[in-house]
Amino acid sequence: MEPLPSPPRREPRVITGLGIVSPLGIGREAFEAALATPELLSNRPLSPVETFDATKLENPPIAEVRGFDPAKYLGDKGLRTLDRLTKLMVVAARLGLVDAGIKKDGAFVHSSPQRAGIVSSNAYGSLEAIVELDRVAKLEDARYINPAKFPNTVANSASGYVSIWESLQALNVAVSDGNCGGLDAFACADIYLDSERADVLAVGGAEAMSEALFLAFEKFGALSDKTRLSEGAAFAIVEPESHARARGARGLAHILGFGTAFIPPEDDSTLVHASSEALERAVRDALADAGVAPEEVDVVASSMLGVTLFDRSELRALSAVFPKDTCITAPKLVLGETLGAGGAMGVATALAWLGGVTPAPVVQGAAKAKTRIALVTAMGFYGNASALVLKRYES
Amino acid sequence: MSTRVYITGVGVVSSLGLGKEEFYRSVAAGQSGISPVSSFDATNLGRLYAGEVKQFRARDHLTAVESRRMGRCSAMALAAARMAVGDAGIDASHLKGPRAAVVLGTTMGEADILEDLEGAWIQKGLRGVHRSLLPKYGSTLLPIHVARALGAQGMVLTLPAACAAGNYAIGFGADLIRSGRADVVVTGSTEIIQELQFSGFVRLAAMATERCQPFDLNRQGLIIGEGAGVVVLESEAHAVRRGARAQAEVGGYGMTCDGYHITRPHPEAVGSIEAMRQAITRSGITPADVDFINAHGTGTKANDQAESKVIHDIFGDRRIPISSMKSMLGHCMGAASAVEAIGCVMTIEKGIYPPTIGYETPDPECDMDVVANVARTGKGEIVLNNSLAFGGYNAVACFAKPDVLPPIAFRRALARDTAA
Repeated sequence: MEPLPSPPRREPRVITGLGIVSPLGIGREAFEAALATPELLSNRPLSPVETFDATKLENPPIAEVRGFDPAKYLGDKGLRTLDRLTKLMVVAARLGLVDAGIKKDGAFVHSSPQRAGIVSSNAYGSLEAIVELDRVAKLEDARYINPAKFPNTVANSASGYVSIWESLQALNVAVSDGNCGGLDAFACADIYLDSERADVLAVGGAEAMSEALFLAFEKFGALSDKTRLSEGAAFAIVEPESHARARGARGLAHILGFGTAFIPPEDDSTLVHASSEALERAVRDALADAGVAPEEVDVVASSMLGVTLFDRSELRALSAVFPKDTCITAPKLVLGETLGAGGAMGVATALAWLGGVTPAPVVQGAAKAKTRIALVTAMGFYGNASALVLKRYES
Repeated sequence: MSTRVYITGVGVVSSLGLGKEEFYRSVAAGQSGISPVSSFDATNLGRLYAGEVKQFRARDHLTAVESRRMGRCSAMALAAARMAVGDAGIDASHLKGPRAAVVLGTTMGEADILEDLEGAWIQKGLRGVHRSLLPKYGSTLLPIHVARALGAQGMVLTLPAACAAGNYAIGFGADLIRSGRADVVVTGSTEIIQELQFSGFVRLAAMATERCQPFDLNRQGLIIGEGAGVVVLESEAHAVRRGARAQAEVGGYGMTCDGYHITRPHPEAVGSIEAMRQAITRSGITPADVDFINAHGTGTKANDQAESKVIHDIFGDRRIPISSMKSMLGHCMGAASAVEAIGCVMTIEKGIYPPTIGYETPDPECDMDVVANVARTGKGEIVLNNSLAFGGYNAVACFAKPDVLPPIAFRRALARDTAA
């Protein structure tokens, strides 16, 4: 399989900060510390479910952001009508902007509201809000639905709230591509930076746990002991290298290249499809785009999640591209499946590895002590796949 | 590398007709697509009217298997995509493979599927939910269904940008081509009317009773609509190579986010002004070059006033012709700016400015040259398509007669100069 001709070289992009709200911790440092503590990663107890009443479910395969207290980060005011998805997203974006040194004490110290924006992925919107309003409409009367909560039913509402809370006015793009959206957001951001629409972008994704989301995945049979439905938000702060340098920013990683592909099943009546071929093409295109040979990749943060159909297909694609000893990991076995946030969680994990944390859990090959180049993958449920190449920051 | 990007085909599913010929005819004639809503009982809500697409039957445009695979929102998008492909006269081989992408906008996506799932769950419990229906929900599916039908294997992406989604999608589709990552992009947006949304707009007190009257002193609010608008975009080289006829060029587009309020526009409209300014400078032109504006014009007090402020700020004393197709179609939400972009292509192709119907009493707060009630003819070579959406999502796109806009390099330099 020949990769596509690469688009012309662009100015390199740099990740200068990370904001993350995850079951493993809130904030970059807590998250990295958790990844660096192997005993935390194995056999984590299933948490008592906090987002909905799950008392009737026995050990539901759920990973939540436990004890999430948005007021701690956002203050008490204005939270009442916000849904969980919005709170996750706003807190992660805020932490990222502070981590990158763009903002301090709520104000911009570099860039400006007019030159800062957000590209955010999410797969299923706020099912919590939609269900709450629909219950009122169906069981009582549509005349009684709460108009203050109606905006939360709109897919890009959470992203819109980030612009309100964080003054990100240059652009606000919500992306939906299922499990691939969290990586596609980085491809979109690259294109928006290329057309000079912003100097700084918060790029990532979020997904919120809700009863409807869990029951849907459970009923479909997608979950197991190994595969936990999860939630969280992760935003990397992405800048053109010249902008990051000019402001003396600390770099966490370079973004080198991206690839995406869609190859549907041949059988007309099938919808759900794990496409090994699409992933292989996405990975090869990402490597070509990055100008990196497969042997140079130190670790792959795969999207394997403990579902045989998808994991086999992914491993087949990766084995076709990479040498046998390349370290292939499955962060989702620890983080759970965060859907629209998944790709961004993969990037967050890879950033920790580029920063010196030893990659885990390893599925194939062996982890190296130092990670210079990492590849993050995402496989969608419908034959879509994406890949992103990151390199340790070298000034 | 950068290239001109052309619209070589358009397809539309609307309350004013299926396909561009019927759509153009109805729009130019100032017909209304607004009628009593039939897909659910709205009696209790005190509002009965919507721009519902009553003549669309998925089976007329999709195979039986396709119809079973997807909801109405995707089905309308696929129907519009097939019309656009037919209109472009593009051979199926050009749409296959990794250099063809599909980018679609929406607000709610497959809302009817969610409604079925939720209705069953709320009323019958989990056992009432059909397992096979579960994977059919998700706005990510819209471009997946279209790409699958066309054979496109490049990027499949949904941009949920509320009522600005069409401009977001078409703009990004053009960006994908300009960045060298695709040769052909099938793009646009799609939306269906669904009970919860309808009720929500009623509860926000934003909905008019029978008519949507943008810019009229006595306007009562919006009427929601539905539909799908899809265009085929090609790079200049690709269009020339296959001998395609370019119907319009996608110029520059501007995007901003107010960051002010989740439903209300910014009172000073700074973000919208900036979006329009960007659309103009990124096209390498000045306001004097613009011939016509397809307004966002929802018919709410706040929107129309804010939009008028934008026009006055950018165009000063010049009275540029402006009109809102929402007076005829209603507000097609996520589909609005793509369906209306196709109206812009009509303006460019035929020199017709669609009317704002129901325009009776001018509002001094919206003192503009509104194309009142009857279509007007004009030069119509360079057109702006406004979408100033919910969430403070502003996007203004410029469409132009092919090769009227200056060369790309010049545009970029101008955009840089004015930004600095």
